[in-house]
Amino acid sequence: MRIQQVLERLERIDYSSISEYLTLRIKDYIQNAGAKGGILGISGGVDSAVTAYLLSKAVDNFYFLLMPSESTPKEDIQDSLDIITELSAEDKYSFITIDPIVEKFKESVGEDKKVIGNVKARVRMTLLYAFAQKMNYLVIGTGDKSELLLGYFTKYGDGGVDVLPIGDLYKTQVRGLGKFLGVPEKVVGKPSSPALWEGQSAEGELGFGYDLADAVLYLMVEEMKGTEEISAELEINKDLVKKIKDLVISSQHKRLPPEIFRLSSRSINSDWRYPRQWR
Amino acid sequence: MEVELAQIRVKQGDITSNLEKHIDILSTSSAECVIFPELSLTGYILRDITYDIIKDAETAEEKLAEQGKCAIFGTIREYHPGILRNTAVVLMNGKREYVYKFYPPTYGLFEERRYFQPGDPRKDVKIFKFKDISFGVAICEDVWHSEPVEALSLMGASVIFVPSSSPLRGLSSTLTIEQDWETLLRAHSLMQNVWMIFVNSVGSQDEEYFWGGSMISSPFGKIIVKGKRLEEDRLTFKLNLDEVRRARYFSSFRDHQRDFHAFMSNL
Repeated sequence: MRIQQVLERLERIDYSSISEYLTLRIKDYIQNAGAKGGILGISGGVDSAVTAYLLSKAVDNFYFLLMPSESTPKEDIQDSLDIITELSAEDKYSFITIDPIVEKFKESVGEDKKVIGNVKARVRMTLLYAFAQKMNYLVIGTGDKSELLLGYFTKYGDGGVDVLPIGDLYKTQVRGLGKFLGVPEKVVGKPSSPALWEGQSAEGELGFGYDLADAVLYLMVEEMKGTEEISAELEINKDLVKKIKDLVISSQHKRLPPEIFRLSSRSINSDWRYPRQWR
Repeated sequence: MEVELAQIRVKQGDITSNLEKHIDILSTSSAECVIFPELSLTGYILRDITYDIIKDAETAEEKLAEQGKCAIFGTIREYHPGILRNTAVVLMNGKREYVYKFYPPTYGLFEERRYFQPGDPRKDVKIFKFKDISFGVAICEDVWHSEPVEALSLMGASVIFVPSSSPLRGLSSTLTIEQDWETLLRAHSLMQNVWMIFVNSVGSQDEEYFWGGSMISSPFGKIIVKGKRLEEDRLTFKLNLDEVRRARYFSSFRDHQRDFHAFMSNL
């Protein structure tokens, strides 16, 4: 109930303006980078679906990769194909089963499901960049603000992208934007899962759902409230708030470029700071 | 006095391209004077490019001065060797004057004090006259404080040009930052009974997106001209003194209590 009140606050946004703005920014970003278009990995989940809709509105030159593995639910594949049909992208995607590539890794590193799960994410990233290079496209990331803050992504896997168009929208807002854009209801309402192993779900792995995570993160980041205050406002256990906060803190290394040990008097990213667009 | 508000897309550190755009607008404008956004020659999100482009910015400034048209544009000026200031250049009647930013913002996404020295109010508060109209220039953040606009108005300015680089924040059905600017401009207009002319840049510069939406608040505090959001725009408007006069006949602008400022100097 209390969580719902915060989520209502978080959803007081206008999806039409946001859609228009993000579309414009994707178009601008690709143009400024001197690239010809954008490519993304489509999974059947809400994040990649919303990003795919935005990308297809932004530019004519878009491309999707479907890269299922044995742990990808069949319905996710079907949902991805439905989205492709919906976006009239039948000639703008490739279907690559990654299992044979992942098998090669298993021969060397063993079968630990988390290790292999991350390998899958990084194989997908490698494929996306290979296609992107071939086509002179940018790799469009699909991470949202909730996942980015929680560090719930694979470093250099789904985290390895050129730009994150929906990275300032919480999962709840991405679902709202999905509804606005006409993403199929079954995709918008689907429980989140990286599907890196069979039966994996975000809620099962994290120990809390995105409704709760979004409410806590929103109060923490946007309203700058402390653990006690958040716990009181949401009427939830302090340890749960602390757990979410710890995830945010311990994953900071995933959101930043790697630390460089200083030696010189002008060290990259410390006192040698240049913008991304730089002539 | 007819002015053009040139709401342009400024490229970060790309002075050649920005200069071309300035020259193109100056040569095609029907207005008597063209106002460009803050740091319109250089871009706003520059980080350490700031140090690399000073010479090019100076050369570009010379080229713009050669155009011989009244213009206000933004650049970086080396005030003393190694001391840089966020500057608006006023080109008028074959002369060149500089206006400096007094409050370079350094909070949240802003990091201007890392690069720029603030203007000195004891030396740098200036007004100018074009034909019969006196005007002042207040750069972006300076309008988020009461003193610069108040000082310029008390010196006799009837028009305050506000070259800006305001990044988008709080986008929903309304745009929070746009509402904030409207409120600020209208408040200054209402208090000083001056024309407030806000010229914003547009387009992306790294994470930030400059939202455009240039606007004019009349001496009665009404927003009477508004530029497009999120895209380039050119707006022309004829300023007059009659509205300044009428607004001031029925306001207490004339009742300036200097002792407030004397008192505040000790706060």
